[in-house]
Amino acid sequence: MKGVSSLIILTTIGALFGCKPKIEAPEASMGDVNAAKFIAIGTNNTGGYSNDALNYTGQQNNYAAILATQFSMVTEIGFKQPLVSSGSVGVNSIGQSALKLGYKTDCKGVTSLSPIRIGASGDLTQWSSVAGQGPFNNLGVPELSALNLNTAGYGNSANGAGNYNPYFSRFASSEATASVLSDALAQNPTFFTFMVGDFDILTYAKSGGTSGPIAPASGSEGVGFDGSIEAAISALTGNGARGAIANIPDVTKYPYFNTIPYNGLTLDADNAATLNLLYDSYGISFVEGENPFIMYDSSAPNGLRPIAEGELVLLSLPLDSVKCHGMGTLNPFRDEFVLTLDEINEIKTKIDEYNSAITSIGQTYGLAIADVNSLISELKTGTIYNGVSMSASFVTGGAYSLDGIQLNPIGQALLANQFIKAINATYNANIPHASVTQYSGIIFP
Amino acid sequence: MKKKIIALIFLPTLGFSQGFQVNFQGQAQQGMGGAGSAYAQDAAILFFNPGGAAFQHGNEISVGITPTFSKITFLEDNTNITANTNSPVGTPFTAYGLFEIKEESRLKLGLAVYTPFGSTVQWEDEWVGRFAITRLQLLSIFVQPTVSFRITDKIGLGAGFVYSYGKVNLQRDLPLQDAEGNYGSVELSGTGNGFGFNVGLYVQPTEHVNVGVTYRSQVNMKLQEGNADFTVPSSLEDNFPDGPFTSSIPLPSVFTLAVAVKPNDKLTIAFDGNYVNWNAYDTLAFDYENNTSSLEDTKSARNYVSSISARLGGEYKFTEKITARLGFAYAISPVQNGYVTPETPDNNRFNYTAGVGYKLNEKLLFNASFLFTQVKRKDTNLETGLSGQFKTHVFAPGFAITYKL
Repeated sequence: MKGVSSLIILTTIGALFGCKPKIEAPEASMGDVNAAKFIAIGTNNTGGYSNDALNYTGQQNNYAAILATQFSMVTEIGFKQPLVSSGSVGVNSIGQSALKLGYKTDCKGVTSLSPIRIGASGDLTQWSSVAGQGPFNNLGVPELSALNLNTAGYGNSANGAGNYNPYFSRFASSEATASVLSDALAQNPTFFTFMVGDFDILTYAKSGGTSGPIAPASGSEGVGFDGSIEAAISALTGNGARGAIANIPDVTKYPYFNTIPYNGLTLDADNAATLNLLYDSYGISFVEGENPFIMYDSSAPNGLRPIAEGELVLLSLPLDSVKCHGMGTLNPFRDEFVLTLDEINEIKTKIDEYNSAITSIGQTYGLAIADVNSLISELKTGTIYNGVSMSASFVTGGAYSLDGIQLNPIGQALLANQFIKAINATYNANIPHASVTQYSGIIFP
Repeated sequence: MKKKIIALIFLPTLGFSQGFQVNFQGQAQQGMGGAGSAYAQDAAILFFNPGGAAFQHGNEISVGITPTFSKITFLEDNTNITANTNSPVGTPFTAYGLFEIKEESRLKLGLAVYTPFGSTVQWEDEWVGRFAITRLQLLSIFVQPTVSFRITDKIGLGAGFVYSYGKVNLQRDLPLQDAEGNYGSVELSGTGNGFGFNVGLYVQPTEHVNVGVTYRSQVNMKLQEGNADFTVPSSLEDNFPDGPFTSSIPLPSVFTLAVAVKPNDKLTIAFDGNYVNWNAYDTLAFDYENNTSSLEDTKSARNYVSSISARLGGEYKFTEKITARLGFAYAISPVQNGYVTPETPDNNRFNYTAGVGYKLNEKLLFNASFLFTQVKRKDTNLETGLSGQFKTHVFAPGFAITYKL
């Protein structure tokens, strides 16, 4: 009897202590990467631009900062960013604050959850220079064009509004003389990430194809994409630094271009009949139910036509005008709100050309090539990560911030992992991936 | 107020497997790897083979408990993040009563109460799989009144009716964050019941060999009065209304072929082979009474495959009073690649068991047993994308008292 009870007690104690199963994790390693001086060069996502403004949360959770966190699990590194104040409402180049999810009442009196500005105005005090805290590891500059990578005085406010980049101005080592590249080279980086060119495409796409031609794919430094990129990469790798370069995603897969359906004009029989009377002479007819919106198109007969399937309506569209003031019907969409099939074709062609340049330069200089394009495609299709479904649905997709273009922290972590995959594969490294769902998504009121 | 559509795929996960099916229904059998359908040695035969109950002598009451200590560790692929469970001790119990109407009657009546599925898996707070599951508590009690009849001196036939009562409580976090950074969560709880039967044939062709054939039917546990309790940011409360849901889980049928050999008075070797019809568990569906654009009814593929297990055990009577037992079992997992879930990261497994029996006198008997098993599984779940390695340790010491009337 005594033997039996002591057997029970012993096994119970044994079970309670010291039997937590152990699984050996593969050993983390930086491989051939020396991250002692890690520099990130890039545009909006790199600079922490999200929710349509430069803001503190965006900076803290951009992919470069996340990469630095992951590197620091393996090796000791420092990573300094030109942060805005933590309580700031953020600011963008047209003086607006960042967006948050809140309640908005439309022209019909319907209140719904919608992105709204945090502040009536952006926090303009954040434009004052923080260069004194530098040099900075994160040289991400929102709205940076590939052609301006090595433009001296790119942040020079003396050039006057519209002729300098305020995001660079606030942390450039010297407003008058510094370029993004020169500020990078001055720090003698041992490792860099490079994600440039997406904004050149985006500028065109966001303008509905009205912004003038996209920077040419080939041309010398400051003139063409390939020459500008190669000059920068050549300089950065000059003293043996290694790096990772990102390809350009298909920006037309962003929620910004996929939220308003081309045929979102829903009519009842009466309204369809009225419009048919008005549009009869244009040879355009309407039916009860879904109809394409009408847009201006100078190449169309009479300068008007229904938007075609496959054309993309931009989120910049003033929705109240559509709902209450006949926009898209009596008052056709202007070209700036629509990417036409020709414009989409132009965008895709340029992306392909840019990406062949990136692949070729990446291979020439032995860089890791982060496949950002496939990540954006995957989000468009829809994917699931640890029980969290993600897509390119506006607001609810989970990986994009409220501007429908830039990524939120979850999306940034996915982006960081694209870099880590490429770095691990290219440089014989084993850097742990970021745990994506430990980053924030959309914040609901 | 009209709310924007929050289209979230709502993925409930609920499962159980071989892991929760370890035979904790008799201490003597447990000591022998869970074999015993052809070896009627105590009232637990009511569960193992109702046909063997008629071969027991006299009246008998037996109660037992098996505190089950289970720990799971998860190593996530790529991130190398580990997580552990801190599940409470499981307490599967048994109570058997075996009675004869008159002395040396061919007819025996029995009542068996046991808990074939019952455990709680609790993952640590904020673990990487929190949006798949944070806690699953399953409790089931089977009550089985049984009739057993010795047709000849060599053949016994028995049948029991099974009533099952079950309780389930499933919790997980929802990827909906409020301004303070808190995530939403859902708790699905409910009770259910089901019916089934347990029949067995027990044959003693010679003095040295027994053979058993049994069939325990499938039991469909129907959750009729489930309650879904959502905690979400206030702007989404209309999208996730608390309310009733229904669901059902099939507890699979088990067909067993068993043999026991007694080369001499002291030694018994027993073997049970089980065929478990897990094919029945192909889908887990949740039907919410209050559907919204965010909360739709769900159907999750489980696609379990039927599996077999083999149990082998030996018993040696050192003296009239002391018996020692040893056994092991091998069970093939019904869970296919792509369907492993964190509440039961199942795989093919060996169970190692040992036990002792002590007979105080002709009326009072004590049995104790010990089980250890370790399960490893690496998988990427198709539904949640959770990818990594699980390792489970189970320690289960058990104890029972038998009183012969």
